[in-house]
Amino acid sequence: MASGLDFEMGPAATTLREELRALVAEEVPAGYLGAFTDDPADLAVAQRFCGVLAERGLLCLAWPAEYGGRDASVWEQAVVREEMWAAHEPRGAQYMGVNWVGPTIMRHGTPEQKAQHLPPIARGEVIWCQGFSEPEAGSDLASLRTAARPDGDTWRISGQKVWTSYATMAQWCFLLARTSREERRQQGLTVFLVPMTNPGIEVRPIRSMLGPHHLNEVFLDDVVVDAANVLGAVGDGWRVVQEVLAFERVGIARYARCERLLETAPALLGQAWEELAGELRGRWARILVQCRRARLLAYRVLALQSEGRVTPGDSAAYRIAVTRLDQDVAEVLTEIVAAAPLDGAEGEEFRAEVEDHWRYSQASTVSSGAIDVQRVLLARALLPAAS
Amino acid sequence: MNTDLSPEATEFGREVLRALEAAGGDALVQQAEADPDRRQTVAAALADLGVWELDPRGDGDELEAAAAVARSCGSWAVPYPVAERLARPPDADGLVLVDEARPQAAVAGLGLRWAAVTLDGRRGPAVPREATAPPRTTAFVTGLDLGPLDDGGAGDRAGEVALALALPCWTLLGMLDRALALTREHVLRRTQFGRPLAALQGVQFQVADAEVERAGVEVLARYALWSIATGRPEAVADALALRSAAIDAADVVFRVAHQLHGASGFCDETQVSWLSRYSLPLRRLPFGPTATRERLTRALGRRGLPGPYGAAAALGGVR
Repeated sequence: MASGLDFEMGPAATTLREELRALVAEEVPAGYLGAFTDDPADLAVAQRFCGVLAERGLLCLAWPAEYGGRDASVWEQAVVREEMWAAHEPRGAQYMGVNWVGPTIMRHGTPEQKAQHLPPIARGEVIWCQGFSEPEAGSDLASLRTAARPDGDTWRISGQKVWTSYATMAQWCFLLARTSREERRQQGLTVFLVPMTNPGIEVRPIRSMLGPHHLNEVFLDDVVVDAANVLGAVGDGWRVVQEVLAFERVGIARYARCERLLETAPALLGQAWEELAGELRGRWARILVQCRRARLLAYRVLALQSEGRVTPGDSAAYRIAVTRLDQDVAEVLTEIVAAAPLDGAEGEEFRAEVEDHWRYSQASTVSSGAIDVQRVLLARALLPAAS
Repeated sequence: MNTDLSPEATEFGREVLRALEAAGGDALVQQAEADPDRRQTVAAALADLGVWELDPRGDGDELEAAAAVARSCGSWAVPYPVAERLARPPDADGLVLVDEARPQAAVAGLGLRWAAVTLDGRRGPAVPREATAPPRTTAFVTGLDLGPLDDGGAGDRAGEVALALALPCWTLLGMLDRALALTREHVLRRTQFGRPLAALQGVQFQVADAEVERAGVEVLARYALWSIATGRPEAVADALALRSAAIDAADVVFRVAHQLHGASGFCDETQVSWLSRYSLPLRRLPFGPTATRERLTRALGRRGLPGPYGAAAALGGVR
């Protein structure tokens, strides 16, 4: 019989993991909770870290060699996602540029657009935001109303976007707007690459429990955008965006941070760990199994994707598992932190991490595709005759 | 990375599924309940396919084949300890993992030589007591009289203990596959309020949630098998993790299956009721959900669930 199962990621992925961990240990200060705090030094950490990754060819290693990447395997890409998320994403907002803005431009961009946008993304010098959601268009994205009308060699865009992460710091926006009314709502949409410095753009931060810079409103008032900044064909925006979502099939590796936080708790507590209630330690063990489960479901999606066999149901099952995991882990961790004698600087840093994780996890079942939509997608795959 | 069983193991599992269907399929468990001797039909059908010649301890590929067999047997709720027989040591016909304080297993009245192993790796002979209640209520579970247990030691027997934990989980996985498949068929066929139940979002969400649980067991079962096949030192923890997740998943899947089948799900003419009843020994023996979690917690200690993906310690703890 031929051998089957193999859960090793391979030597290249293991070496990469070690390299990334060493870089994080060297470049990212203890207690770092991500780039999007009120302290500008945190954003500077991310900018510097992206530069370091770029110098070593690690920022865009998933990209094809012709665009300066390393043609990394899906498993190396998974390692990057895991290690970066586990360390509070020290690439800051750049992960978006690297993960899907760049690849989408490679696929649909003109030679000029590629020359203009890919090098700065590869050097880690530019921040993008994503202009999709609107007040009346969340999960139902095709109902968006932001409109673009042609005006000579330009387009004039008016409307409102919302929940736009990083809009206060982004130089460019990957914006979806309606360019015509067609029979199907998915038709007549177009992607624009919009400089955030264009007149008529106003960004208003929305204060939220997620922390600063995560949520913003973006108002577009007759913003003039050069026709050369249309990505792909006019009216073909829905197809482009579907590809973007395909790049994001497994999304962020939430399980990696969950696992690290869960494993850190007993390591910090030492002997005092055994004094926690047995039931709480039992919940901790159970949730670690669920971390493993989410990780393996992600690997399953990646394996199927690399063979061209993945279905929306496979990735939906993973997303349901991983987003619930984020919240379940937050509950267990907050209980551990409340019950455990976590003293000293390390203890304080851990408390801060857990508090940050709890707040941020509340959005996990909403952001990047609400869990309810994922459940519908999975049900459609399981009950096709009913849909 | 390969998250699938070998094509040969998968195909062997399908062959077993077809052969058991030809031998009676859903009726196997029903007939065995009425006449326990009918269980030999299962043993004979599997013997014809060469199942008892598999050597899951000696060969990773045959371990995968054994897992595929156990899963197929779960699909039909076969009333025969197939996974337990496949886990046998050289000096017995089958192996069951037991709680030493109250050794029991679903092996009543088969006339086989059994061995029992504890979680800490001590093994000895086990003699099933004569059944005192009908299988209708016991699902063939009976007490075991244990002979002297050796002191094999957890280290030496880790692979064996992990095998005895993991293979029955593959049987349970087959039961979850089937319970969910039957539920999907039912909600598509059953019409209420002028449309199939499956058109109701409340029903769709329950089916989706059950599938997340089933799919989670599937990946953990594959991982535990690989951990055993490659002799990983944490194979017992991986198998306990699988068992813990599988029991929790079974609670969700069977609850959804019963709920969505409505009253028909309790009837003997509906296979879900047989799957549900005969899943219980697998979910409660040797340890139920709470006791399994307790043992898992103990096995993890303070180090967490090790694996090839790097432990938190390497990250330097708090960031």
